[in-house]
Amino acid sequence: MDLSKYITLVSKDGFEFVVLRQAAFISPAIKSMLDPRSQFQEAKTSRCIFGEISGEVLEKVVEYFHYWYKNKEREDVPDMDIPVELCLELLMAADYLGLDSKANPDRQVRY
Amino acid sequence: MCSWFILTDKCRSANRPNQGIRGPRSALTDFLSSQNIQAHQIRANANARRAAAALAAAANVQNNADGDDDADDDENEEDNEAGGSTSTTASRARAREQKKQKQEAAIAKIKESKLYIKKKQQKLAREKKHKRKRGGDSPDLPESDSDDLARALLDEKPGPVPGQMANCEICDKRFTVTPYSRAGPNGGMLCSPCGKKLAKDQNDAKKNKKPKLAAQGGGGRRKMQSRILDGTYHVGAKPLMNLCIETLAKNIQLADGLGDLPPRVVDLIARKLSKHRLLGPDTLRLFLDPRNDAVSLYDAARLSSQDYVTIFQQVTQLKKLKLRNAIQFKDEVMQYLITRNLNLDSIYLHGANLVSEACWIEYLKAKGEHLKALQIYYMDKHVNDAVVSTLKVSCPSLTRLKLCHNQEVSDDGIKLIANLVKLEHLSLQLIKKTKTDPYVAVVQSLGKQLQTLSLKNIADVDNRLLDAIHENCTSLKKLRVTDSEHMTDAGFARMFKGWKNRALVFLDLQKCRHVDPAKPRENEHMVGLCSEGFRAIMTHSGTNLRYLNIHACRHISAAAFEEVFAEDKVYPQLSKLEISFCEEVTDFIVGSIFRCCPALKELNVKHVKVPKGRILVGVPNAIGMQIEGVDD
Repeated sequence: MDLSKYITLVSKDGFEFVVLRQAAFISPAIKSMLDPRSQFQEAKTSRCIFGEISGEVLEKVVEYFHYWYKNKEREDVPDMDIPVELCLELLMAADYLGLDSKANPDRQVRY
Repeated sequence: MCSWFILTDKCRSANRPNQGIRGPRSALTDFLSSQNIQAHQIRANANARRAAAALAAAANVQNNADGDDDADDDENEEDNEAGGSTSTTASRARAREQKKQKQEAAIAKIKESKLYIKKKQQKLAREKKHKRKRGGDSPDLPESDSDDLARALLDEKPGPVPGQMANCEICDKRFTVTPYSRAGPNGGMLCSPCGKKLAKDQNDAKKNKKPKLAAQGGGGRRKMQSRILDGTYHVGAKPLMNLCIETLAKNIQLADGLGDLPPRVVDLIARKLSKHRLLGPDTLRLFLDPRNDAVSLYDAARLSSQDYVTIFQQVTQLKKLKLRNAIQFKDEVMQYLITRNLNLDSIYLHGANLVSEACWIEYLKAKGEHLKALQIYYMDKHVNDAVVSTLKVSCPSLTRLKLCHNQEVSDDGIKLIANLVKLEHLSLQLIKKTKTDPYVAVVQSLGKQLQTLSLKNIADVDNRLLDAIHENCTSLKKLRVTDSEHMTDAGFARMFKGWKNRALVFLDLQKCRHVDPAKPRENEHMVGLCSEGFRAIMTHSGTNLRYLNIHACRHISAAAFEEVFAEDKVYPQLSKLEISFCEEVTDFIVGSIFRCCPALKELNVKHVKVPKGRILVGVPNAIGMQIEGVDD
């Protein structure tokens, strides 16, 4: 079966975001949810429902996915603007989705 | 007044040397007058020319405004210009032709001028911006557009000539125009106070713009270099987590609490805050969650003794305490800790050099039995052999011990460490000169269970330590032996050949080399890590090694490197390799290293000697180093 280039992310309050599959795969959590070898419901329907993330936060996360994808090969990338009031919630979401430095393939290991 | 006019008029018309009485004349004026060249005549000619040009320009402006359909008007004007002569149509046509030619020449000249190029670039940039907004793309300005631009420049009303009086555009004051007078926003001239004010405003606007731009970008070349050296450099966007933490750190004063963030994230925030020295009595509360059993503060320099007591009061289940720069962590805090019902199992203290020896011993005796890890850095003279001697009895479950920069710990203290039977991780970096025997005693007694052995700055320690490690250690994962000047290549080779220990994960043998300032290249007795030892290391541990540091092991030969990183060898785990100051490394070897180590993330090759005429590609430079290949 040929996979769609896009996937749908759904927030807890029902907002749906259609995202480029490759961009969303920066998140190891989403990647494993959508792994075609797994038998998860998400993998079959290409829909991920996040019962803990609000639409407002998920919107920012989706913005980050595309920001990351656009700047994948670039050096000296300008920082994305994070609204202060969303900061803590976004931090929770980032932790949940595994968007820390371990997810970055070009991360340098420190000892 | 009147006579002066007459005089100058006479001079002009008579065209002969100035006879008026003037001040001293310069040699140049003398020379020019001898050549029959008059300064005031030149000036008069120039003024006449300018006036004519100004008149023509004014006429032109009107002309353009009226449009081409008004032919009568045009002709009338030209009649005026021709001085009201009753010329024929042919001569009028000729004059028009001439005027057109002149204008074209002027336009061509303007197109070459700097001002024009600058304006054109500005316009282009503006156009591009618009285009980008609209989503299209057009590479260059159309020709007609650029003609318009040149014409506009030509038509621009020339301002008053220097030396003339004018009214300031802003304050209406009358002033003398100089070459330094500034043009106002509407094209008029400005007097010097108004001009200065305008210049200042513009500068301010520029200054206000600049920092914004800097904040937008990821930083300049220098910042990038700094990130490469820090090891935080990477291609692509920063992780979302880092972005959030940075934003949080910038606005930490707004945060009431960190909510339900997992301890791992709280730890990252604590690190970030410390980097900017933002941790103080006011921000401390964010890290004191009574449900947590760990407190890690990476820069506690601004905390007072009372703040430390607050930590123990609020985090009642505290088990792991990690404090760096804990300067005010004094005896009274230790005393408080002794009297409370808190039993720490891990203490990491850095820079608390006001805690006395007696207090350390008292604490260890009272609470030591729970301690599993003790890491003490920079305690000045108060952590000494006496403190180490109490560890055996009072800390029976100690598995991790680290003593760094504690000036009073000596050979006797090291011998005492041999009695800590449960120790699995041992790191020592002592200031006093140490001998080989105490270390051998430690390795002989603890070797079997030791997983980490890190011995820094052991200049006088010799091969006997290596032999002892070979004999006794079987579960080591991390080994660090640095700065030895007595260990030899044969010793290293002996240690790794047939060693019963599993392959190491982390190995640091930096600066184990022969030091002789007089003859730095000669190494008769093969002191330090050389070729044989290096081969033995890679044969024994190559499969598992993730970190290898052989910084400044200068006598490893090119042949040994080529053999170790030969085509058929693969070191699948190796991700960081430090071979700075290994003088025999060439670009060929570096290439081989990349081939043999698929997981390599960082290769440090400072001061590698590259043969003349060859190029070493991939040295961390301004562009940074990217590892070729695709990620999964």
